Amino acid sequence: MRFEEKLKTLSQEEIWQEYCGFLDLSIEEYMQIQNRLMEEQIALWSNCALGQRFLKGKQISSIDEFRKEIPLTTYGDYADVLLQKQGSMLPDDPIIWIQTTWEGGRHPVKVAPYTKSMLDTYRNNVLACMILTTAHEKKKFDLKAKDTFLYALAPLPYATGLFPLALNDEIEIDFLPPVKEAVQMSFSERNVKGFKMGMKRGIDFFFGLGSVAYFVSLSVAAMGSGGSGKSSLKSISPAMLARLIKAKHTCKKEGRELMPKDLFKPKGFVVAGTDNNSYKDDLERLWGIRPMELFAGTEPSCIGTETWTKDGMYFFPDTCFYEFIPEKEMELSLDDPSYQPKTYLMNEVIPGEKYELVISVLKGGAFVRYRVGDVYRCVGLENAEDETRIPRFHYIDRIPTVIDIAGFTRITENSIQNVIELSRLEIEDWVAIKEYNEEKRPLLHLYVEMSPKSLVSQAVSKEILREHLSVYFKYVDQDYKDLKRILGVDPLKITILKCGTFAEYHRKSGKKLRKINPSKYEVMELLQTEESVDLWYQFRGGGRL
Amino acid sequence: MTTGYAFISIIALVCYVFLFLTFFAAKKNKHINQFMLILTTMILWTGGSFFMRAQFWPGVKFWYDVSVLGLTLCPYVSFLFAVDFGGIRVGISRRVWLILAVIANAFNILTNSLLAAPEVVTMADGSVSFIYETTWKVIFLYGVTFGASVHMFWLIWKAGKKDEMLKRQLAPIVVGLLIMYAGNVLIFLPPFIGVPVDIMMGIVNVLCLVYALYARRMFRLTLLASKGSCYVIAGICSLLIFSNAIFPLRKFINKTFSVAGEYDILIVSVVFMIATIVIYTAMKHLIDKIFIRDELARSETLKEFSAAVSKSLKINEILDVMVQVIQTTIGVKKVYVCLVNNDGDQYQVSYSTSPLDKRSYSLTADNPVVLWLKQNHTYLLMKDFRRTVAYKSMWETEKRMLQLLEIECIVPLEDDNQLVGFVMVTEKERKAILNMDDLAFLDSVGSIGSIAVKNSHLYEKVYMEARIDELTGLLNRKYFYETLEAEVEKNRHLSLSLLMVSIDDFKLYNQLYGTEEGDKALRNVAMVLQASVGENGYVARYNGKEFAIILPQFDILAAKNMANNIRMQIMEINKQQRGQMYRQKALTASVGICSIPYAASNMKQLLDNADMALYQAKHTGKNKVMIYSIGEVEDSRAAQMDNGTGYREGIYSEYASTIYALTAAIDTKDHYTFRHSKNVAEYATKLAKAYGLNKESVSIIEEAALLHDIGKIGIPENILNKPGRLEAEEYEVMKEHVENSIGIIRHLPSLDYVIPAVIGHHERWDGKGYPRRIAGEDIPLSARILCIADSFDAMVSKRSYKDAYDTDRALNIVRSEAGRQFDPQLAELFVKLVENGTITVLKDE
Repeated sequence: MRFEEKLKTLSQEEIWQEYCGFLDLSIEEYMQIQNRLMEEQIALWSNCALGQRFLKGKQISSIDEFRKEIPLTTYGDYADVLLQKQGSMLPDDPIIWIQTTWEGGRHPVKVAPYTKSMLDTYRNNVLACMILTTAHEKKKFDLKAKDTFLYALAPLPYATGLFPLALNDEIEIDFLPPVKEAVQMSFSERNVKGFKMGMKRGIDFFFGLGSVAYFVSLSVAAMGSGGSGKSSLKSISPAMLARLIKAKHTCKKEGRELMPKDLFKPKGFVVAGTDNNSYKDDLERLWGIRPMELFAGTEPSCIGTETWTKDGMYFFPDTCFYEFIPEKEMELSLDDPSYQPKTYLMNEVIPGEKYELVISVLKGGAFVRYRVGDVYRCVGLENAEDETRIPRFHYIDRIPTVIDIAGFTRITENSIQNVIELSRLEIEDWVAIKEYNEEKRPLLHLYVEMSPKSLVSQAVSKEILREHLSVYFKYVDQDYKDLKRILGVDPLKITILKCGTFAEYHRKSGKKLRKINPSKYEVMELLQTEESVDLWYQFRGGGRL
Repeated sequence: MTTGYAFISIIALVCYVFLFLTFFAAKKNKHINQFMLILTTMILWTGGSFFMRAQFWPGVKFWYDVSVLGLTLCPYVSFLFAVDFGGIRVGISRRVWLILAVIANAFNILTNSLLAAPEVVTMADGSVSFIYETTWKVIFLYGVTFGASVHMFWLIWKAGKKDEMLKRQLAPIVVGLLIMYAGNVLIFLPPFIGVPVDIMMGIVNVLCLVYALYARRMFRLTLLASKGSCYVIAGICSLLIFSNAIFPLRKFINKTFSVAGEYDILIVSVVFMIATIVIYTAMKHLIDKIFIRDELARSETLKEFSAAVSKSLKINEILDVMVQVIQTTIGVKKVYVCLVNNDGDQYQVSYSTSPLDKRSYSLTADNPVVLWLKQNHTYLLMKDFRRTVAYKSMWETEKRMLQLLEIECIVPLEDDNQLVGFVMVTEKERKAILNMDDLAFLDSVGSIGSIAVKNSHLYEKVYMEARIDELTGLLNRKYFYETLEAEVEKNRHLSLSLLMVSIDDFKLYNQLYGTEEGDKALRNVAMVLQASVGENGYVARYNGKEFAIILPQFDILAAKNMANNIRMQIMEINKQQRGQMYRQKALTASVGICSIPYAASNMKQLLDNADMALYQAKHTGKNKVMIYSIGEVEDSRAAQMDNGTGYREGIYSEYASTIYALTAAIDTKDHYTFRHSKNVAEYATKLAKAYGLNKESVSIIEEAALLHDIGKIGIPENILNKPGRLEAEEYEVMKEHVENSIGIIRHLPSLDYVIPAVIGHHERWDGKGYPRRIAGEDIPLSARILCIADSFDAMVSKRSYKDAYDTDRALNIVRSEAGRQFDPQLAELFVKLVENGTITVLKDE
């Protein structure tokens, strides 16, 4: 039975129970589902060629044994099989391959297989998100066929492109613009068309990456402000026209710009991706409704959602088997890749602790004990507000060795080194840190130390460096380019350190600084070292004195 | 209202009262209670109006106020019913409308100012009219009802907009209420003036509400068919008929039967009573026909089912009846019964509608379906279960299995809250949906079936324990006797064969590989026997290594063929082993056969003769089939081998080369041991012959003597040839040569017959030897012979640590050790043989 029929034949309580019933699970019941499905996955995975390659003839009889025998994995462990799409080597037949960037500028793409069972689960979980985003309390929601959906996400083969397909399998949702048309359009064309259609028919749902949703929201407001021409008026419904007139009057009275909330009253608002915290407050101000966050990725599919309380995500029990690496263990393994960090299960997490997520995709998925590269904080084991008894998480960011700006980029040490080499700038040493500006927007802060020789022969002002590096960032990293193209943002910030700073830091501290996101304390030490370099020069008789 | 329509009011009143009483008897919940409140207001409204017009006591004003109270409260209780039915939250307004309605009514009753009671005017023709005087103040009264109604419709519209399902559920309520309100408007329009459309529409409204409740499964339709309903209907019908017919009837009696005139009241009463009974019976019959015919039929079926299963204790018979009852009564396509296995970890399909159904399906004990049944103790509808969170943990294969079998409903079979199994039911014929009655029936069948299954399990457990051998799963000895007695009696005039099957050298097998392997061998042999005999007879474990096969209606030839077939299969058992470190000794069996009436006439003779045939088979070479035939035992192995010795000789010749290869191996390392082995062989064979052993046994002893020290290959040369006395540790190493010898020989399955001699040749008659420290006749005879021969040769030979003893000294030691180290009888014989020259002492060259 399709979801649309269920809406007609089942009560809201029954539908809630089917899709959102996992929120009522106790942790024991939750783990029972996790363990049972993991046992199925171990059986499937152990019998396929991919699994055999890891197991090397060993037989696995329990989850504990599996966790003991199989080391944590990264995409590199699967690359040769998956990039060649060798479906016959996998635990189950893939129906679709989903694509994303592997590592900016170095590995252009990675692909992940989705089996039929995974897609079924994905479909159910997406519907759970839709139900939850319209809910204001337990078992009450507002979702029906023909609802309109403004969708600011990338189409297939990206994971976000699955969303409308999965939804349309179950319920007739009017995407603005329709998916078939949208794939032919550029990002801005889609926004304009979507907004125009929204003006005609209203917007019931809005879903996008936090950053993109913010950008689109601003565009909508701008279009609304300028859309009072005769041609525009023709395409607006009378009700919307009345609302527009009233909104303009209100804005004039209040002396502010037109906002989406003046025109639309969406039932549901969903954001995904990284850095959503930077945009949520602004989005709430613009739309009059706080966005609900969900977590979906290429490898894990849709794995977590917030509820109407919008205070932390819950992981779906039937998508992946979850393990968590505590922050300290994660740091140890980032410093020493041969170190096997300890992992904990969902019933072992501690509130307040930060964890790197490790997943084993259930239902015939390829990835086991896979480090997704995301960090979460457990914020509670129970919640009286939405009456849950399972752990709740806040998304923090990517792991420290990857810089993700607004959900677009995956900048690593390799990608920055590549950019520097291509730019031929004589940068002696560098360190990159993800920071946030005064408006809470993310940026890539690159601290560079130029070669003393280049200072006399090359123009190396901060602006020149920024422009120069930015050009190469866009050249090597399509995602970085999209950041500028779609959001109009260039997140690069340059700070030039005095010559000899890194060497002095190394001499003083006796340790090598991590190139990407070293700890705040280490950065502070580096900057303090920069100040002491002058003294060193003076001591050596260098510099002006 | 014209008096011509008075019956409509009466019908409405009857209808409301009937429903009220019916639901009064029903299991109540909030919605039923609220519906009864609506009925109450309708009764007040309609009844008040009717009694007012009939000017019943206490008067028009009273009944008018009752009617207005019903009228004004009806929208309020309808409001309550609708919002609670739809789960719509309304907050404080539900109380506001009640307070307003009560105030307006109280004010009107007390002051008669909002809508005054009508004035009763008697016309010239005697008819009565009610004149209403309506003022603008009526707005306060009707405003309350109108307000509550509008508010209700607004809430329903809002809720229905968000929830499609709710919209469908509330639709009959909305339609009913709209019809009722329309009726109240229509009475003011010209074509309907004077017609009680409002009352008629009130009935329609109530029916719509009943439908809404029924659609939500708030009550069962059979509720309407209660005895109480029939009494009410019969009573009301009788009252209506006789209130109109009593006077004409009395008149008729007085006129026609003037004699009976003085008893007219009595006659009318009797007629009234009889008519009531007739009406009641007719009504009950009609209602039963309409509503509970199926229910009655099912009750009858259940009764029959209960009786049928209580008659049997055999699980398959019970399951067969259960499956048939479900299939024929409900009309489902398939029924599967799953029962828990002995380990309690699997629920396996044990029975199904057709023997051709695949029954290899099972659900594990941790399957969410099983856990759900254990937790809820009632039937499970798959369509509902698929919507539970528990379903999320189902494996894809499990989901596919249930889909493939098209399972719609699963009914638990429980024994003291333990889930012993469950019944899986597919969809009904012509894709009909399982209704509440079907599910109730399934639940009942499950409950009755559970008890039957429980009893059957208990019975079968006891039955099995009493009759089955635990290790092999075959019949035990006690039950074998019972069966044999019964079968002999049954086949006295036909034929019956008894096969006694004994595994050859089984003690040795246990010694070689341990009792665990021995048990495994017994199970394997049992499997061969059971598979060969099948449904043609009975297989029992007669004692440790012996089995008995009863073959009713088998003559000697057929029994012999089966026996040979079994013997050949047993020989194959260890040839098919996989993953063993070494090939185990081939299992062989000897079989003795006797048949009635050919060679026995009663059970005792049959047993004795079969046993004798087996004895002969054992003592004439083993691995053969012997038939007892009129006092003679006939060897059936015939063409295959001439006799036992020949068979053994075959094996000897096959392994002669191996024996010499092994002795040659020891010769290269330790020439003394090689020569010593040959000497021991010479002494031992002569002693064995003199003791009267047969040729075969002498051969075994000879070979055992040649191989008895083969384990010395593994002893370091510095210990083996050490001059002087061995240290304690060195002696321990030396002692290992016995185990080493066994370790080598056990890899040669057909040489294993020498093991008893080899393993025991260092045991002492007084039990102080090694390795097993056994004593006296527990030590195999061959080992005792070997012991003397071995010791004597050691004494008369020169060793690195001692000189050769002369013969007399050696014989003296043999004599003195008789009864201590050596078997006294054998020691004496040996001394005699040496002394009389039968045994020539072999000295070093």
